[in-house]
Amino acid sequence: MNLVWLLAVEAVEEGGGGLFDLDATLPLMAVQFVILAVVLNALFYKPLGQAIDERDGYISSNKVDAAERLAKAEKIARQYQQELAESRRQAQAVIAEAQEAAQKIAAQSMAEAQQEAQAQREQTQRELDEQKQQAMASLEQQVDGLSRQIVDKLLSSVGA
Amino acid sequence: MALDMSIFPPLPLAKLEVGQHLYWQIGNLKIHGQVFLTSWFVIAVLILVSILATRNIQRIPTGMQNFMEYALEFIRDLAKNQIGEKEYRPWVPFVGTLFLFIFVSNWSGALIPWKLIHLSSGELAAPTNDINTTVALALLTSLAYFYAGFSKRGLGYFAKYIEPTPILLPINILEDFTKPLSLSFRLFGNILADELVVAVLVLLVPLFVPLPVMILGLFTSAIQALIFATLAAAYIGESIEGHGAEEHE
Repeated sequence: MNLVWLLAVEAVEEGGGGLFDLDATLPLMAVQFVILAVVLNALFYKPLGQAIDERDGYISSNKVDAAERLAKAEKIARQYQQELAESRRQAQAVIAEAQEAAQKIAAQSMAEAQQEAQAQREQTQRELDEQKQQAMASLEQQVDGLSRQIVDKLLSSVGA
Repeated sequence: MALDMSIFPPLPLAKLEVGQHLYWQIGNLKIHGQVFLTSWFVIAVLILVSILATRNIQRIPTGMQNFMEYALEFIRDLAKNQIGEKEYRPWVPFVGTLFLFIFVSNWSGALIPWKLIHLSSGELAAPTNDINTTVALALLTSLAYFYAGFSKRGLGYFAKYIEPTPILLPINILEDFTKPLSLSFRLFGNILADELVVAVLVLLVPLFVPLPVMILGLFTSAIQALIFATLAAAYIGESIEGHGAEEHE
């Protein structure tokens, strides 16, 4: 490497060359670079930057839109839930009412039937009692008649 | 002056030339032809890629457009981080072109076997391994940050020289010289040193031994482009914000 550097330095000394040979390359390169920057600005930075910004705008607006729609959907879902709960409650109420009514009717008819049965039983009992009295009365008569006959027979046998 | 190393058998790649230039004469002015040839190649590549990327811009990017949008987003982030959200947009072309030009130059020097093309004098290499190119870019950066400071703060820009205290005036003035100097020599030195190391290794132990150094060279080339662009953006951002109210990011 030493040799190389020595040669480089030597080159500077000998004639116009060398590592640190500043000349008109410098300003021309600067001008060239500025032109490149301007050209790339028109060809590359502006159009692609615009594309990126437009895409960003598109994405963010879509995102806002989607968020709005999501909020709307959530609201509708909530409303639906509410309605569902409401109708469930109503159905429950209807069922309860119907059950109550049915129970009332059942109780009523049961009471009626019991009353009727009671009445029939009472009547039957009355009839039974009447017939029993009648039978008792006729039995008494017969007992009377029989006892008189027995007395008669006994008397006649004693008398004879 | 070509170091022909006649001890070794003359391989086409194993030749080392330093400080040799292909001179073109324009009027009284001498320019380095080999630098311009490769820089035109770099410029052509950049313009061609830009045209390919923007020929048919789609909302959903594919292929080249996608790649260049990635590059643009990268540059924008770089500029945004250094200059700030509010002011970075007008500086994207400058910082981005710095990055792209240096990056493509460095990689073209590392990847394209320029040395197969023979010139009458000197040899083709990355444009950034010539001090003229790097000084040109560094001086443009200086102009850019001066312009940024003046357009933003007017003559109040000079107040930065006596901030935070007037005692620092000489150092602050010195800074304006060291900035372009360090920028240009960092880039120049890295690229030239990398090419020299690779060339010397190829000269001494050809074929596989220089490969790791070449890969390292690709890495440093990319890093140098990033450093140059980042520092340029940082200088611009600094002169826009001012020394007093320094709030990076």
